[in-house]
Amino acid sequence: MSDSTSPPPYETLVLLLREKFEVDPQLIDEQATFRGLDLDSIAVVEVFVTLSEHWQVPLDDSAATPDLTLADTAAMVGAALDGRA
Amino acid sequence: MIAGAGACLPPLVVTNDDLVRAGLDTSDEWIRSRTGIASRRWSAPGVGTGDLAVAASAAALASAGATAVDLVVLATTTPDHPCPATAPQVASRLGLSGVPAFDLAAVCSGFLYALAAGDAWIRSGGARTVLVIGAETYSAILDPDDRNTSVIFGDGAGAVVLRRGEPEEPGAVVAVDLGSDGDGAGHIMVRAGGSRLPVYAPSVGLADRTLRMNGRQVYGQAVRRMTNSARRVLAGPDWPLESVGAFIGHQANQRILDSVADRLGIRPEHRFGNIRDVGNTAAASIPLVIAQVAAEHLVRPGTRTLLTAFGGGLTWGSAALTWPDITVEAAFTTFALPGPREEDTVPERKTP
Repeated sequence: MSDSTSPPPYETLVLLLREKFEVDPQLIDEQATFRGLDLDSIAVVEVFVTLSEHWQVPLDDSAATPDLTLADTAAMVGAALDGRA
Repeated sequence: MIAGAGACLPPLVVTNDDLVRAGLDTSDEWIRSRTGIASRRWSAPGVGTGDLAVAASAAALASAGATAVDLVVLATTTPDHPCPATAPQVASRLGLSGVPAFDLAAVCSGFLYALAAGDAWIRSGGARTVLVIGAETYSAILDPDDRNTSVIFGDGAGAVVLRRGEPEEPGAVVAVDLGSDGDGAGHIMVRAGGSRLPVYAPSVGLADRTLRMNGRQVYGQAVRRMTNSARRVLAGPDWPLESVGAFIGHQANQRILDSVADRLGIRPEHRFGNIRDVGNTAAASIPLVIAQVAAEHLVRPGTRTLLTAFGGGLTWGSAALTWPDITVEAAFTTFALPGPREEDTVPERKTP
């Protein structure tokens, strides 16, 4: 569950990739794609489910493709948070 | 409460490499990494869901020491015929002619829906004993060239006998939670063959007659729905998650099972499944695991047990029960038509 002290979506995503998916931190940047980080399509949906739970916002699983960049993904979470506000 | 269990699998084992050799564009590594499946069982042409259901039910009745029941509920996506239901023929072949018998369609959640129905029937006083079956012949509705489905699904049947009991007896069904969301119907569907698009319609092709699944949507929905349903069902009897000693999820995909169990905090040694060897057997998957676990004495009677499933519809459900004190002679029996041994034949690439 997020609150006002939670880090912004991109930082949350980075933390998730490092801790849950054991992605090499050196490979992570905003323009990296999930495919580039060696995450397959199922893993990307798992990222979406986890972000959706963390931020308590709905995310469209149909958008969860390996070619998404991390910046795109963080933007989706941000848009969902804006819609909730 | 559960008083007996049994299961049946066709003898033909189809490995991932068999599928590749048959022309499917995939690999053993790809299938294992994305599904956790190494092989599945497929029935020979001519074998129906009813055949597997009868064999599993006979084993379950023997396990329960029962020769009669008051009701037969068969959960299946793949009945022997569109009309009539398969359950009455299954009942007659078991010597149970005369009892009420019906099919129940909730796809991969079907067994838990049927378990809930049978349990409610007993609680209402309408029956003392109920035969609950989950049986499938998915090989009959698969497009052999569709990598999204043909690597995943297998055939099989499992059954349990329910009888009236006391809440403190091992095997008691303590709580159930069921749900559905028809807005997601298109995520898992055979488009043709029903009233909306008859199978004889000129526009109907193979893709319409066979199962189609949107794997990405199904994964997300399955994880969310099973996790939430499991939490709800345990809240009823006020069972803390850490008190669950046996977890059996619908054997949809190993990564879905891991995701749900991890979210719930189920310890690895308390998770039971068979997806590696039999694939996703839809409504049959949970009772197949129950029979195997019981046959191998892997869980102590009375252990708090959590069952959860998700399937087409969309449907989902969970059950909280205590592990039954039953004797199951074998993890599964086999059913094959008389004639050449099925295990000696090359896998058929059926075209529905």
